[in-house]
Amino acid sequence: MNRDVRAAGRGPVGPIPVSAGIGLRSVHHESLVQQRPAVGWIEAHTENYFHDGGPQLLALERARALYPLSLHGVGLGLGSAAPLDREHVRRVKRAIDRFEPALVSEHACWGHSGGEHFNDLLPLPQTEEALRHLAARVREVQDVLDRQILVENLSSYLAFTSSQLTEWEFLSALVEESGCGLLLDLNNVYVNSVNLGFDPLQYIAGVPPAAVQEIHLAGHLRKQVGDRVLLIDDHGSAVCPDVWRLFEAALRRVGPVPTLIEWDTDVPALEVLVAEAGLADQYLERARELAA
Amino acid sequence: MNSPPDPANLAELQARFAAALRAPDHDGATADPALIAGIVDDGLAPADRVNLYRNNASAMFVGALERSYPVIVRRVGDGYFHRLAADYRAAHPSRSGDLHWIGESFAAWLAVRLAGTEYAWLADLARLEWACEEVLVAADSPAISIEALGGVAQEVLPEMRLRLQPALRCVSSAYPVWSVWRANQPDQPGDAIAADRGAEHVIVTRADDRPVLHLRPEAEVRFVAALSSGAGLQQALENSCLPVENLPQALAWLFQHGLVVALEAPAPGEEE
Repeated sequence: MNRDVRAAGRGPVGPIPVSAGIGLRSVHHESLVQQRPAVGWIEAHTENYFHDGGPQLLALERARALYPLSLHGVGLGLGSAAPLDREHVRRVKRAIDRFEPALVSEHACWGHSGGEHFNDLLPLPQTEEALRHLAARVREVQDVLDRQILVENLSSYLAFTSSQLTEWEFLSALVEESGCGLLLDLNNVYVNSVNLGFDPLQYIAGVPPAAVQEIHLAGHLRKQVGDRVLLIDDHGSAVCPDVWRLFEAALRRVGPVPTLIEWDTDVPALEVLVAEAGLADQYLERARELAA
Repeated sequence: MNSPPDPANLAELQARFAAALRAPDHDGATADPALIAGIVDDGLAPADRVNLYRNNASAMFVGALERSYPVIVRRVGDGYFHRLAADYRAAHPSRSGDLHWIGESFAAWLAVRLAGTEYAWLADLARLEWACEEVLVAADSPAISIEALGGVAQEVLPEMRLRLQPALRCVSSAYPVWSVWRANQPDQPGDAIAADRGAEHVIVTRADDRPVLHLRPEAEVRFVAALSSGAGLQQALENSCLPVENLPQALAWLFQHGLVVALEAPAPGEEE
């Protein structure tokens, strides 16, 4: 037990390369380090590494010594009207100090009210009030962490009548007001375009291209609700053809950026994830050729 | 809520949405007309859309609890566990954006909920499973060897405190919780163990990145628990009723397993 998690050696602390990475899940901790597949980088859920010690932290230290790392938070609930959970931010900071990620991201969502956390990414109305509130929170967190964060667009299963802005207008204004970057999740754009009824290409055209520093790709589930089909963002399958096409369109608009394959439920063998990342790399390569 | 609803007010919208997420059923989730009126109706009922989130919040909570208590799930079955989880959530909702801590109060809640029933022993099993969760995420500290005791003057030895590994928990139970835990690991057939088989006392540690459960004599577990809570050697002996002739063996066991991280003499003037 004489192991210090800090003693495992530092990894390549440079920027995330403009290539495809994979979401790191604990079932792959061992195989990733042993097989060392040719993926450009890894992304881990920040909250999974909040602990004081133990095997999870050691596993990320080992993986992190081999691949550039992005830390992706799912629990801060930036848009919650309730006070910011400062203890949670402190733990994010501790994870950043420990693992030195090249990118840090969170979501444009809320997650707690009345002292209760719902441990879900809940939708905000696209109002001026919500925008001002979220931008102030993002600035506050960026101040504490002393770095820019990327904010990711959500999957939504409903829209609020009070919304005055489109989602892409809301995100553009958020970038303007907070100085954050964007993590553009194209599966979420697609899911929302079906669930809420808009043209996903209009969304892509509406986000500020220079702000997009990372793209997420994932699979979703089709669920029958009444006589309608809703898409559920379950990250439990391969990226669908429509989302690959959207990826191609997005790369034309924002240029090649680091792109992550997320697969969080029914997690397949590491080889399957690596093959998906290989596909994403082919799109990135074509985008580079077009840009040249 | 007495004031007229203002759907554009973020705090109020989130409070109403939160109430829907807490509702025990679909009808409860969709009973707030102000919330429903604030959601776009494009042919798919807003109530059904809200209910998707309610189901998700409940599934998140139950899923996290299941991951912390796999042995209880296996013993009582999914149906009963889900009912317990729903009632537990109503009493102890998640207080953190980190899902890991959802099960922290489960054992204490089960102890009250199941008191006097034939399932009362499940509360002790929950304490054991939570001890496993805690040791898995506790800090790592370098161990010291038993030779360190040789340097301690005889006259201060009784007051000496042994600081133990953060990854160490003691669980004493009137029920055979160690046997039940072992019989219900994934690679075991899951034999039913009679709850009246007798008391078991366990020290949980971490080795090779897994929780390790040591079945130990009752007095020794009480002795280690007393040391853990900061008692000096003499005090821990008295509290636990560990016979003094068993002390060398108990200490040797702790050191052999790398569980002692420091020896601390009482501060000058400090009284027991």
